[in-house]
Amino acid sequence: MSQIFESLQQFWQFTGFANCAWQNLVMILIGIFFITMGIVKEWEPLLLVPIGFGMIIGNIPMFPGLNIGIYEDGSVLNILYQGVKQGWYPPLIFLGIGAMTDFSALISQPRLILIGAAAQMGIFGAYLLALLLGFAPNEAGAIGIIGGADGPTAIFLSSKLAPDLMGAIAVSAYSYMALVPVIQRPIMLLLTTKKERLIEMPKPRKVSQRERIIFPIVGFLTTAFIVPSGLPLLGMLFFGNLLKESGVTKRLANTASGPLIDVVTTLIGVTVGASTQADKFLTGKSAMIFGLGLLSFVIATASGVLFVKFINLFTKNKINPLIGNAGVSAVPDSARVSEVVGREANPSNHLLMNAMAPNVAGVIGSAVAAGILLGFLG
Amino acid sequence: MKKRLLTILAIILSGAVSLRAQNLSDLIISEVVVENETGLVDENGEHTPWLELTNTSQGTVNYAGCYLTDNKDVPKKYMIPKGVIANRLGARQVVVIRPGFEIRKGSTIYLISTDGKTIIDSIKIPSDLPADMSVRKIAMDNKKMDFKTMQEPAVPSPGLMNSEGNTESGAEKVARTDPHGGVLTLTSVSVVFAALLILLIIFTIMGNVFSGKYKRKPKKGKSSIDADTAAAIAMALDLECGDDGTAAAIATAIHLYLEDSVHDSESFVITITPRSSSWNNKKDMFRKPVR
Repeated sequence: MSQIFESLQQFWQFTGFANCAWQNLVMILIGIFFITMGIVKEWEPLLLVPIGFGMIIGNIPMFPGLNIGIYEDGSVLNILYQGVKQGWYPPLIFLGIGAMTDFSALISQPRLILIGAAAQMGIFGAYLLALLLGFAPNEAGAIGIIGGADGPTAIFLSSKLAPDLMGAIAVSAYSYMALVPVIQRPIMLLLTTKKERLIEMPKPRKVSQRERIIFPIVGFLTTAFIVPSGLPLLGMLFFGNLLKESGVTKRLANTASGPLIDVVTTLIGVTVGASTQADKFLTGKSAMIFGLGLLSFVIATASGVLFVKFINLFTKNKINPLIGNAGVSAVPDSARVSEVVGREANPSNHLLMNAMAPNVAGVIGSAVAAGILLGFLG
Repeated sequence: MKKRLLTILAIILSGAVSLRAQNLSDLIISEVVVENETGLVDENGEHTPWLELTNTSQGTVNYAGCYLTDNKDVPKKYMIPKGVIANRLGARQVVVIRPGFEIRKGSTIYLISTDGKTIIDSIKIPSDLPADMSVRKIAMDNKKMDFKTMQEPAVPSPGLMNSEGNTESGAEKVARTDPHGGVLTLTSVSVVFAALLILLIIFTIMGNVFSGKYKRKPKKGKSSIDADTAAAIAMALDLECGDDGTAAAIATAIHLYLEDSVHDSESFVITITPRSSSWNNKKDMFRKPVR
């Protein structure tokens, strides 16, 4: 009898109840909050639901040494986490993004491409602020990339520059991407006049298939020669787009933009979520990263809108500044925000296709910015 | 004769390939200590002279069978033993070796290839090298593995890659040179804008070409004929030839020529490309497929 009691006592030591700390419970609640936001509010459910559930997985209190935790070498979660840690998943996601993105809007209106560059100011604004707050340059660079509004890029760069901060950076980037409509709208309204919001833009011209095939090749050669350190992201992005546009690799494009990106998104979401173990996540640094991430989004949005207003000083064909926010690379969410806010001012004004140009330029811009930071700080 | 030549060529090629495959030429003598009084001890616990080899390549090199000597005329003075797994030196790794002869100050140590003839590397030992100090080669550029012999004696660093202050990471360098981040920010913003500006220029030009803004100039000869001229020619032909359809055909041909709808390889020859219709299209024919 006493033996049974002893073994039950021993079993109790292995349970989550015996090893639970209040920090674990806080993280589990955050995970449930993410899942709720994803399901109820439908804010980036494809990301928030896996991340939220990953948070719960990663914060189940357990007896150390069972070789099941994400930070324990050789455990299943640890093996899956290598895709994040070594930076395998982000280029695969970029392959899928390339295969599902239509760059026609950008090809037909190249003058809008620079908005995608202006919005990258968020990255460097956050970098400067992070340095002021005492972060090391590599950490500051990894935090700054949150302003690119690009989860895979943020994971890719932070895995190379500041692996210890990756969990906080990734969760911050994906959270703010989900909150793009909430963050961007007030800034857009604050920085534009009613008259500016009414500006109508011509429909983009139709782009031939030949142009769409040439785009990924020329785009890749140009950007990769300037920033070779961005090769994994830029290469996969443009390669995916070539698969889509070539017209002869439909099966590959369908796989890249369908099953492959779904699998990788699931794995990246769950493992990033699981990496936010309470002892590593609930720190003062994480709070600062969340603050800086928010600021970087604000700076990025404001820079894009103000840059359009600046361009309008010199051009005859005015651009609606409401598409400036789309310079961040949250595709297509930020372009959708431009459309919604534009239609609030003028219900017949459809800005979506125009906003897609800076939006996809933002994807290229953030990958280029990540390459530069990696080159300098890696 | 031909066969013999081919055999010799094959032997030479295989020799060259095997030498290259092993990358023996990527080995250097990177450090030597002559008077070892308080430093590294050997397997017997004694302070003996030592030298260090570095593999500067990205591949593994098997240095077993190579020779060390301090006399070029006696290249096989000491052979590095074969059959030891540790003789395989990984990419950019170093190994400490105790040669089987006395290392003297003022001498030059040579590393000889497995053929016993080819000198792979050498290092000159200063005659005034102090005890417990080394003469060494330092990587001036870690990426290119560019080594230079240092004149000043140095504190020995057995088993470690010799480099001078260039091992700091990019972040450390930025922290030292640009603590506030202004330079990096300005540089990065400029590069992002430059990259996208180049794309803007390329795609503006491409867009103009594809949307027909830059129309090709008509070829010589064509410029002299415009649509009005073509119509005039057609009317004149109509009057001349009556109503047999010849004029209409010629007028159509001239019209198509002016519209660039025909592609002629020879000048003054106009071809009307046959167009497919449901009458001549194979898939629209009402014939059953032949089995």
